[in-house]
Amino acid sequence: MSTVDLLRAHAPSAPESLHSRVLALRPEPKRTRVRVRPAFVLAGAATLAVAAAVVHGFATSAPKTAAPPRHTPSRAFGSAGSAVQAQTKLAPAIGAVPAPSPGRLQSTSASLSVRVDDLGAKTTEATKIATRLGGYAQSVHYTAGGSATIDVRVPAGRVKQAIAQLGALGTIVAQQISIQDLTSQLERQSAQIAQLRRRVAALKQALASPSLPDAQRVLLQIKLSEAKRALAERLHGRAATVSAGATARISLTLETRRAAAAAPHHRGRLGRMLHDAVGFLAVEGLVVLFALIVASPFAIAFGLVWWYRRRATDRLLME
Amino acid sequence: MNAATTSLRLPRASEQPSFDAVVAEHLDSVYRYLVYLTGDRSAAEDLAAETFEKAFRSWRRFDPRRSAPRTWLCGIARNAAVDWLRAEARRRRREEIYARDFDEEQQFGDGLPGPVESALRQLSAGEREVIALRILLELDGPSAARVLGISNTACSTRLSRALKRLEELTPDVDR
Repeated sequence: MSTVDLLRAHAPSAPESLHSRVLALRPEPKRTRVRVRPAFVLAGAATLAVAAAVVHGFATSAPKTAAPPRHTPSRAFGSAGSAVQAQTKLAPAIGAVPAPSPGRLQSTSASLSVRVDDLGAKTTEATKIATRLGGYAQSVHYTAGGSATIDVRVPAGRVKQAIAQLGALGTIVAQQISIQDLTSQLERQSAQIAQLRRRVAALKQALASPSLPDAQRVLLQIKLSEAKRALAERLHGRAATVSAGATARISLTLETRRAAAAAPHHRGRLGRMLHDAVGFLAVEGLVVLFALIVASPFAIAFGLVWWYRRRATDRLLME
Repeated sequence: MNAATTSLRLPRASEQPSFDAVVAEHLDSVYRYLVYLTGDRSAAEDLAAETFEKAFRSWRRFDPRRSAPRTWLCGIARNAAVDWLRAEARRRRREEIYARDFDEEQQFGDGLPGPVESALRQLSAGEREVIALRILLELDGPSAARVLGISNTACSTRLSRALKRLEELTPDVDR
């Protein structure tokens, strides 16, 4: 008989006391348990993520209802430094262009997009309009697609006329006007300049005293030069503010019908939906990646503890 | 087909063995496994009771489709035995008794020849454990490996070494 057969033949049996002890236990009735496989959970999560992305893409790709054009921009010049923007997609009524508020310094910038038939002639005419109104064309850019962008500067008081005349070159496709109140900025700069002038005068008076010690004289001279430099900076800044308020800036885009037709074709709804869905999926991926990065140290620590316990158990059983 | 072979077959989803049937069929196996693992019959008795108590508490969570009852019970028994062995090791260190003192009475079998009993005492708990699982309980390789938490190959290697050592320690046994 081999050792294995001996072991089998003389295997210990549980005593009767143990049988009765264990059989005295009465388990609760077994309930049907739904077993969830990790692969199913992962597949479900992935499906949910894709479905959410598709729904998001579908919702955001829906065509937006265009708001009715507002030809009369709101005016809010009561507070200092306020800005007003007016944007119209259709040919606006010229009266809608806000006129400069009297007694206030305002910076006006506008952009006009006008569809014309003859690009060259209309560009020349736009330049002439600027010159006639006392302004100038700062730059002209032609594009290969058949459009031109002209940066025009006109006196602030004539911006309304300029927009009217430039808009009359063809059909206005888009128009945007922005007005920024510079009065408070100008007042602040003027106050700083007055303060610096008083300081310069005081320093000059102090330096004129013959009894001034040499060390203090040197110190006052340094302060005087600093005050003069600051005064020059403020004067330059105020001149720039006045200049910005005196001249309006108009960016005029002239385009032919051909150029408008050749404009990049926008995506269809399906394309937009797919684009948005892919973007949403990318965001979901980033969230998952972030979660993994946050969870990874804990997972590593858990793994190390598990590994250490297992090694310890093996050592215990094999010693 | 013997009882052990029957117990290794995974029950179908509709086959839900009763707890009493599981106790009747597997108590001896679990007890044998624990005797071999601990080398102490009284401890094995307590641990077997503890194992079935734990199994009783988690009986609702047991899924016969995932593992055979015997494998599941051996897993619970192993955890309980490892905790006991750890406590024993701490106690021995505390009492500065480095050599394991087994009782002189037979621990590993009823009527087992003395040299085999002595040889089993000289094996490590891990070696006796794999012998119990594969020889006494007749678990197949994958099931035993699953209980031990090692690969099938490692389980076979461990069994082979344990049996070789046992043979070396019992050269004069009258077979």
